[in-house]
Amino acid sequence: MATLPASVESLIARFGPSLNFPNPEGIAGRDEPDAVVKTHCCFCGMQCGIKLLVKHNRIVGFEPWEEFPFNEGRLCPKGVQRYLQNNHPDRLMTPLTRVPGRGFDPIGWDPAMERVVSEIQRIQSAHGNHAFAMLSGVSLTNEKSYLVGKFARVALKTRNLDYNGRLCMVSAGAGNKKAFGLDRGSNNYSDLAHAEVIMICGTNVSETFPTLTHWIWQARDNGGQLIVVDPRLTPIARTADLHLPVRPGRDSALYGAILHQLIKRDWLDHDFIANHTTDFDKACEAVADYDLDWAERITGIEKAKILRAAEMWGPARTSFLLHARGIEHHSKGVENVLGCINLVLATGRIGKPYCGYATITGQGNGQGGREHGHKCDQLPGNRDIENPEHRQYISQVWGIEEKDLPGKGLTAYELMEAIHRGEVKGLLSICFNPLVSLPNNTMIREALEKLEFYVAIDFFLNETARHADIILPGSLHEEEDGTVTTAEGRVTRIRKAIDPPGDARTDTSILLELAGRLGEGERFRFQTSEDIFNELRVASKGGTADYFGITYKKIEENMGVFWPCPSEDHPGTPRLWEDRKFRTPDGRAHFHGIAYRDPGEVTDAEYPVILTTGRVVSQYLSGSQTRRIGKLVRQYPEPLLEIHPALATRLGIRDRELVRVSTRRGAAEFPAQIVETIREDTVFIPYHWPGKKSANQLTSGHLDPISKIPEFKVCACKLEPTGKIAPSPDESKAWASA
Amino acid sequence: MNTFRVDQEFFLDPQRCIGCHACEMACAECETNGQFPMIHVDYVDRYYTPQTSVQICMHCEDPVCARVCPAVAIEKDEYGIVHSAKTDRCIACSNCVNACPFGVPRKIEPMDLMMKCNMCYDRTSAGKRPMCATVCPSGALFYGTREEMARRRPNSSPVNTFKFGKQTVKTRVNIMMPKGSTELVVDANG
Amino acid sequence: MFATLNLLALLSASLATLALVVSIYVGSRNLGNFDPALIAYLFGCIFACFGVVYRYTVWLQRPPTWRYFSRGWQLFFTGKAISYGWELTKHFVGNFLGQNFIRKRGKSVGYGHFLMAWGCLLAFAVTFPLVFGWIHFGLKPGGINTYEIYVFGFKTDEFPLHTWIAELIFNALNWSAILVIAGVMLMMRRRLTHAGQIAIQTFENDWLPLLLLLAISVTGIGISVDNRFMEGRAHQFMAITHAITVILFLIWMPFGKFFHIIQRPAQLGIAIYRRAADEGPQAVCPHTGEAFLSGMQLSDLKHVTAELGFDFTRRDGKSHLDYSPCGKRALLARAHLKARQKSGHLFG
Repeated sequence: MATLPASVESLIARFGPSLNFPNPEGIAGRDEPDAVVKTHCCFCGMQCGIKLLVKHNRIVGFEPWEEFPFNEGRLCPKGVQRYLQNNHPDRLMTPLTRVPGRGFDPIGWDPAMERVVSEIQRIQSAHGNHAFAMLSGVSLTNEKSYLVGKFARVALKTRNLDYNGRLCMVSAGAGNKKAFGLDRGSNNYSDLAHAEVIMICGTNVSETFPTLTHWIWQARDNGGQLIVVDPRLTPIARTADLHLPVRPGRDSALYGAILHQLIKRDWLDHDFIANHTTDFDKACEAVADYDLDWAERITGIEKAKILRAAEMWGPARTSFLLHARGIEHHSKGVENVLGCINLVLATGRIGKPYCGYATITGQGNGQGGREHGHKCDQLPGNRDIENPEHRQYISQVWGIEEKDLPGKGLTAYELMEAIHRGEVKGLLSICFNPLVSLPNNTMIREALEKLEFYVAIDFFLNETARHADIILPGSLHEEEDGTVTTAEGRVTRIRKAIDPPGDARTDTSILLELAGRLGEGERFRFQTSEDIFNELRVASKGGTADYFGITYKKIEENMGVFWPCPSEDHPGTPRLWEDRKFRTPDGRAHFHGIAYRDPGEVTDAEYPVILTTGRVVSQYLSGSQTRRIGKLVRQYPEPLLEIHPALATRLGIRDRELVRVSTRRGAAEFPAQIVETIREDTVFIPYHWPGKKSANQLTSGHLDPISKIPEFKVCACKLEPTGKIAPSPDESKAWASA
Repeated sequence: MNTFRVDQEFFLDPQRCIGCHACEMACAECETNGQFPMIHVDYVDRYYTPQTSVQICMHCEDPVCARVCPAVAIEKDEYGIVHSAKTDRCIACSNCVNACPFGVPRKIEPMDLMMKCNMCYDRTSAGKRPMCATVCPSGALFYGTREEMARRRPNSSPVNTFKFGKQTVKTRVNIMMPKGSTELVVDANG
Repeated sequence: MFATLNLLALLSASLATLALVVSIYVGSRNLGNFDPALIAYLFGCIFACFGVVYRYTVWLQRPPTWRYFSRGWQLFFTGKAISYGWELTKHFVGNFLGQNFIRKRGKSVGYGHFLMAWGCLLAFAVTFPLVFGWIHFGLKPGGINTYEIYVFGFKTDEFPLHTWIAELIFNALNWSAILVIAGVMLMMRRRLTHAGQIAIQTFENDWLPLLLLLAISVTGIGISVDNRFMEGRAHQFMAITHAITVILFLIWMPFGKFFHIIQRPAQLGIAIYRRAADEGPQAVCPHTGEAFLSGMQLSDLKHVTAELGFDFTRRDGKSHLDYSPCGKRALLARAHLKARQKSGHLFG
């Protein structure tokens, strides 16, 4: 019974989100801090270096870390304001128990733990081990990700562990594994500097990875040209030499058409294709009919522009292709990724200086998290949970019998469906806010309400955790030591700056105690984060994501080490594939035949407009952290419906008029922002907000068949003007919408 | 102790601005301006384009703001930095706000005070780079030596002469222009 | 400011000084009520008067100042000040008596300044009339328990000795000194701990005034302490150091930070100006399409900039000043984009 224990309004009043602003009279201790701690931003996959200023066990400010090689002090607004998540009025500082009618009451650690363990045991003995599931998130360090993976399989003994990376870059991971046998960006970003042409596909770099912009601009200062594929004219697309405003859901048609042109004009690296790849013929065959007329019809991009893209990409000597959620959040996300990889392989521009390809991993530890921990089908070192050899190796590291190691579980969205069906009855979540971040969240809410027992570990009471029976106050990024792996594959050091306040505890200590109380303490004898990392090194040894040669000391001395790094004397691998030894079984890179197919939902007479979703620069993912930081909220206070003037005129929609947006899943109202910078057939809503302001009330639950990523980027909607002009954005309380 | 580095200069390049507002957030962190940002980032015209303008104080050689100040509250120091209005003198008439050709000074209404960018004097006077230029993720704001800039941006020239109508304004801060440019003419019909 | 002789300023300063001397002579009944022990202070005051008026006149002659000054009086005499009586009163009470706007700049500066300012104003109110011989006290003839107050030689009031009223009046300067010391302490603490202040403060502008006020107040209290507890043994020393600090203050008044005490009332003029401006037509920015400034201020500003030798006239006949700050920034960004586009590369 996990319905809300009190009204949403009363829970918001007590637990937030509320806004934290710095004291305008200055923050005491900032000029003479007790410590200046070199660590990283807690947000996206760039993992920018930053120095935190500490006074009296509080973070009082920041200083740019100009020596850190990736960002050299550069930050985005979220990084600048990140310190305000510390010392926040909403911080959970004591375990809580659900009291129907009242909300949540404080409860001691001991009764809280006891309750959690007895409920886990009750559910598992009544319904089997897999009826208790765990959901995790990749804001957690490598150590915690590894610990979560081991905890779920060894202590909880459930196969049903998945993570919020499922909403991030799993399509890219799956595509990379198919094509290269390994899931990591092939190059670090310094290879952008002299790329002659850079193609960025479905990634609003300027808002989602602002600090990456520097590297792209550097290439352009050196004469490099930029192609941007995006249905919207984003700030980075504005400056592009070529902007391809693709119709959402039609990406693979575009890459197929460009490949068609490369073949036709013979802009191919025949040696590379012959010696280092397979299945080029299949790729050719699939695009044989994808001429420009066809492509224009499908993608909605003028054919001259598609041709121009091929002309720019084809004959270049150096190039870099980057993609992100824009092509990955699709029911054919993996196909889109493979379509991009085909373009890279066809021209042979990989594994050489300034010749690169990479997905831009979105979450802070999206890269490291998926390698070592909490993905339902993977074991540490990027091993496959269904591969007998891999199972054997990890069982031995963990000191269990291979037969006791659970198999592949359900993915995040499927898991919520299983809860909805009543097959999964208990849930432990950490660092995941599916009520805001998963699509079709009316179903998610119903599922949460059906849980028999739900325990959440978090530092703020996020929207999902309001449904919990027990809440365990965990730790912030700056309260534990560890490592993360950036989008580049660089393993970096997260340094503990302060202790958790009040009765809050480190996530690690919570998981270790739970493991002990579940009777598996023997296998979780870690004293420090470094102990966990050292076991992770052994567990990853021999896997594709091999961290064996990486130590804390080495990371600190080199300001990061790129995996694979199989031995302590190995310098790490900033650029993959220089040896042309791909990690597929046959050692070659694989082309794939990518035939175009429609997205999961297409427009029709009832739902005639394409809805796509995305992010804004001032918010991060489900907003649990950034919707609590005052100035970030003020920068973009409420989700707006971006709509082209032609479409707005046709529907009689005025600027800032509230528009009712409906899909087959639900309806919600958003103020219209009329701009010429979006396709006429498409509207856009950013998704960081909860409740009635949540774009994910509308999005569809279509999943990619391979990666199981939900199709956030395309669905069909209907727009109706309400006749009401929205109040001033300054009055909006969207950040804490019920 | 003042360790202002006279060899370093500010270089602005609005076309590199991605409108992220990191500079604005970072600027407000400065204790000299008490959580008010002094830098400006605005959409030029959001209906048509996501282009943003980014504007710090250009620190004019002959600052109009100081000349139109009835209270003689604005002063330029020996490093060419035009400082915020002196708090004891400023009478909040907002002449400076409306006379500055770059649209830089801000009037902080409740305080009855004008404040403006002083190129992070707290940092630059201690030999550090201004906060906005340190955090700017896209190089729209850069602070360093002329040589460093020439190396990074071989195909652009720093320009510090602006024409606003008939008025020529020379500034301490540079704007990065196509190589060989000598001035930026700011006039819709220019 | 004093580098070249300003004839108008010289004239008005001389006249003002002369007027002061005459009024002292008359007000003290031909120096009959003048206390010769205060002669050094008197010369300090006369110098300060000359300096302050000289500087004020020079200041007024600056084109922007003169425009506001004349505009302010013009509005005043056309009855605006009277019709804006409430506005002016509000402003006077809130921002002058209460100094609310300073408190909004920060609590410690707000309270510190409030204490210092009222300490100083109280001290001025006592010191100047005493020094000028405009006020003096005397024992009521025929007793030893009643004091009389004389203003310009006329008896205006009397009060019994050894009452709280008497203590209040006789120790007025001590009370003001205590207020100033408390204020100075708050301000000094801020200057020692606030990172922003530390970065931009200078000795001459920020510390010297505080130290001087502290010295005046401490030596002033010292005289009383000496009288009451030390039987006047240190009187000579205390009196001289106090006189030196006060005279330094008076002499420095026209040059340094304390001149703002004289300048600040101009804010009242701005209040009328702004009110009148708000009610008149507003200038609309051709870029944003929004009103951003009163037509009056814009036209005044155009005159002032022209007087100062700036010419922002554009080819289309408009002035660059017709654009709001936001519009000006957009114009620059657009001009830059255009120049970049013309070169064929946004980057490089």
